[in-house]
Amino acid sequence: MGESVFEITINCVKLILVFLLMVQMVPILVWLERRGSGFIQNRFGPNRVGPLGLMQLLADAVKFLTKEEFVPKAATKILFYAAPVFALIPGTLAFSAIPMASPLHWGQYTFAIQGYDIGVGIVFILAISSLAAYTILMAGWGSGNKYSLMGALRASAQTISYELALGLSIVGVIMMYGSFNLSDMIHVQEGTMHFQFFGYTVASSWLPNWGIFYQPLAAVLFFASTFAESNRLPFDLAEGEAELVAGFHTEYGGFKMLLFFIGEYGHMMVASGLMATFFFGGYNIPWKTTEQIYQWALNLVGSPDWASALTSLVHFVSFFIKLAIFLWIFIWVRWTLPRFRYDQLMDLGWKTMLPWALANTIITAIVIFAVSQSW
Amino acid sequence: MTADSFLFWMLAIVTLVGGLSVILVSNPIYSALCLAMSMVGVSALFATLGAYFIAGVQMIVYAGAVLVLFVMVLMLFDLKTELATFSRGKISGLMKIAIVGLLAGFLAGAFKTMTFEGADQAATKAVSTGDTTKALGTLLFTKYVFGFEALGILLLVIAIGVVGLARSKGGTHAKH
Amino acid sequence: MQNIDIITNVGLNHYLVLSALLFVTGMAGVLLRRNVIVLLMSIELMLNAVNISFVAFSKYLGKLDGQILVFFVMTIAAAEAAVGLAIAVSIFKRYKEVNIRFFEHLKG
Repeated sequence: MGESVFEITINCVKLILVFLLMVQMVPILVWLERRGSGFIQNRFGPNRVGPLGLMQLLADAVKFLTKEEFVPKAATKILFYAAPVFALIPGTLAFSAIPMASPLHWGQYTFAIQGYDIGVGIVFILAISSLAAYTILMAGWGSGNKYSLMGALRASAQTISYELALGLSIVGVIMMYGSFNLSDMIHVQEGTMHFQFFGYTVASSWLPNWGIFYQPLAAVLFFASTFAESNRLPFDLAEGEAELVAGFHTEYGGFKMLLFFIGEYGHMMVASGLMATFFFGGYNIPWKTTEQIYQWALNLVGSPDWASALTSLVHFVSFFIKLAIFLWIFIWVRWTLPRFRYDQLMDLGWKTMLPWALANTIITAIVIFAVSQSW
Repeated sequence: MTADSFLFWMLAIVTLVGGLSVILVSNPIYSALCLAMSMVGVSALFATLGAYFIAGVQMIVYAGAVLVLFVMVLMLFDLKTELATFSRGKISGLMKIAIVGLLAGFLAGAFKTMTFEGADQAATKAVSTGDTTKALGTLLFTKYVFGFEALGILLLVIAIGVVGLARSKGGTHAKH
Repeated sequence: MQNIDIITNVGLNHYLVLSALLFVTGMAGVLLRRNVIVLLMSIELMLNAVNISFVAFSKYLGKLDGQILVFFVMTIAAAEAAVGLAIAVSIFKRYKEVNIRFFEHLKG
């Protein structure tokens, strides 16, 4: 955590702030979803409460809080109460591990702008995301309702199937960057494109050095798998509104359902953050390295502490813009594509994505090995 | 008490309580969920021992896939009543517990007083995680490559076998 | 309190004793419980206990071979759990029971 009391305090405050950031983004996301879906479907979203309908979420929160709290008679109480609480955990823990800005150097301290900096970053995030299946199962079983149970079993089978495609599509990326650590991956993606090609360094100054230009197939597979992991359309058979009432959260009302939605949006944010980190340079500004930004800030401000703070701020804004773009794409896809049928979904996960991810891994390995030999 | 030792004791208690709940609770779904908690505890213990990659793999494989499978199968069974939770026969049950307790005492007593050659009590070879994973990979592909390939074949056989066993019409001895 | 050293100074022996206790718990589960699935879960518990001792040795002896063996044990345990569950599902489909006291056909 740090040596001096100052550092420890700042780290604790940072942890709380990252958690609050994730939770506070949810009302904005819900507003974006409701207004955005309205515009996509050629209708108004909520626009009465507050300017542009921004206070709608506040009104909804008050409504949720004051609803009657009920437990179905056939429910198992422990699991019924535990499932919504458990829904928050994977999203929050995983989001805290994603670096949001370049490290801040203040005096003799260095603060990483994330909850915690883990050496095996991506393995930790995959491990935590795989715990999401328990939320669904506990909710489905704890409701004591056959529809919930069916929805929960289908959703958890989908989750564990797409975890495979998710993990395998990242292996190519990890091989290319050579490290599990997310900060290292972002560090490699600085500046303009340059890579080794049989002993020569090929550099192109009109493309940023982002992962998507090196691993496009992995990007597509990863993005599609994260849709399946967070149970968003077109993979949202778990909550298929027309088929299973509401799937595993049928029997939940009021504040508990709000917690489920916070969990789902948390997964969306982790997915967007990871997409930005692996394939779009993380917090980097395209075509510029961190050093260049730091020099610009130093010229602007003068003292190295404040220059570092300005650099981190600029990078944070850049990360946030990328996050917002991907979150918008999540919402956009949800209201555009129809839903997959369950057998089509499982076929896609096992028979299409898994072989393509494997092929991507093998070809990446061959290319990396071949290209690193100088002839 | 340092942070390391506090962490160890807390995680040890969580893991042991989870393990005991697995065998003592009568509803098998609670059993499975307690085992999941125990697995997470074991993964955290791996992390305190410095094996971060193995800790992540343990969570992904055990807590994230194997136990989800267990819980799914249990939910599909939907057992109405748990007729006989523990084995019937009080005498044989007591003898089993006695034998198990003896084994526990023997092992624990032996381990408490044993010293191992070359074991440094505070051996912290603090290698960074990247080096550890790279070293693991190198070992796996050079010294243990036969076991690695054999595992691959084993997994293939198991996948085919499980699909054959659990088919709805069929199974291994069905008449068509 | 004299022997507070044993609480504050956590060493290899602590991990080994924990592993032994966990292993013995799993063994008690295998002997005492009658539900096939809980039996399989107790076996998983035993395998995890062994994993803990492997990793503890790997750290305190400074070699990485323990962690490689953990890979192998983990894989085999997962595979065995899959096969055990497939068998349990087949049994349930045929007999509608997963209590092993109904499956004493081979006895005597």
